[in-house]
Amino acid sequence: MKTLRRFLSPLLILALVLGSVSVSAAPLPTSELISTQAALSAERADADRERINEILSRAEVQEQLIAQGVDLAEVDARVAALSDEEAHQMAEQLEQLPAGAGVVGALLVVFIVLLVTDILGLTNVFPFTR
Amino acid sequence: MQGRIDRPLRNARLAGVLLLGLLLLTGCAATPRLAESTAQTLPRQAWVEDVPFHAQREYQCGPAALAMVLNHDGVDVPMETLIPQVFIPGREGSVQPEMLATVRRHGRIPFVLNDSFDTLLTEIAAGHPVIVLQNLSLPAWPMWHYAVAIGYDLDARELTLHSGEEAERIESFRRFDATWARSDRWAFVALKPGELPSGIGEQRALQAIAAFEQVQDADATLPAWSAFVERFPHSGMGYFALGNARHATGDREGAIEAFRSAVAQRDDLGVAWLNLGLTLQAQGDTGGARQALERAAALPGHWQAHATAALERLSSGD
Repeated sequence: MKTLRRFLSPLLILALVLGSVSVSAAPLPTSELISTQAALSAERADADRERINEILSRAEVQEQLIAQGVDLAEVDARVAALSDEEAHQMAEQLEQLPAGAGVVGALLVVFIVLLVTDILGLTNVFPFTR
Repeated sequence: MQGRIDRPLRNARLAGVLLLGLLLLTGCAATPRLAESTAQTLPRQAWVEDVPFHAQREYQCGPAALAMVLNHDGVDVPMETLIPQVFIPGREGSVQPEMLATVRRHGRIPFVLNDSFDTLLTEIAAGHPVIVLQNLSLPAWPMWHYAVAIGYDLDARELTLHSGEEAERIESFRRFDATWARSDRWAFVALKPGELPSGIGEQRALQAIAAFEQVQDADATLPAWSAFVERFPHSGMGYFALGNARHATGDREGAIEAFRSAVAQRDDLGVAWLNLGLTLQAQGDTGGARQALERAAALPGHWQAHATAALERLSSGD
């Protein structure tokens, strides 16, 4: 992930800089409107740096999902469906995000504690306690 | 000898500590209280009709919950299709951002609700099934779980959920809230473009619709922006977004009208002046375009350079 970042960052910065230069130097004859998404992200401070981070985030999320066993054919569409903010969140903390699964792997001690908390109505692990 | 006396003592101490810990925990879990206004306006019982139940297979409560909510809203997608779209094998579960992303892929807008019990019940009463994230276990050994809340009874103080392998499971408000609070009361609804949750905040709704538009297209999003400006008639950004969506679907007249409403609400919204000017120019209204672009070029900010360049192009007679 680090190497990817080191490799991609300068390229992206270059691409974005060149991109904005070409816009101001040789404006397109048909003027494109500014998109809602571009306007919203420009409202936040540091819009350009944030954009670089977001593009990097998507590349990182893609790598992580593949490493976590997600089907290659699905990865692109999955990453594309994330909002910029969500992509960033996934890239930063995929390991810490709660993954809803509905199963607990537990030891006997844990079992007993959870049984008691279930009876007290604090948790809901065992169906038979209700 | 020494050891024999100590052991029961130590056990007693351990039991004491455990008991104290449990008492502290119980202290935290109280029955959630509704705001007075909500309690008065909500019906005593509510039930969302026609939410199909899909029993989860191992670990796959995420895809199951999504299938229930999407099928209810008329999206005909089987759970088998959703599993490879949202499930992460390495985590043996599904994460929140991807739950929302998958909803977008299927043409519905996910709105994350604020973390209140009132909002949850209000949405159920409005006929929207709500996906909730619970930690059914304790924070130390989490058991994260997505379920679909489909009904409640204020008198019995009970919530009804399609959950795991159990359809229409009934949980007391107190027990449900204890498990829901551990996810910071995370919940969302998946709505057709054009519908909004009743209590949703302006920024939250704006971001949700903009994220949807990025995945789908202007055609699909247009009804959502119309509904947004109806709900938030003073949002300059809302009219701006509506203008863009109309423009992208070929409705230039409508776009101009929306951009005018945007700058009427927020005179300092440079980007709206800019798009207004560009659209007027494309329409052949050079005078109107110049006025709008001059205004945009006079406003400091991210789009000033853009506006200046557009003004120059207009003057050079392109």
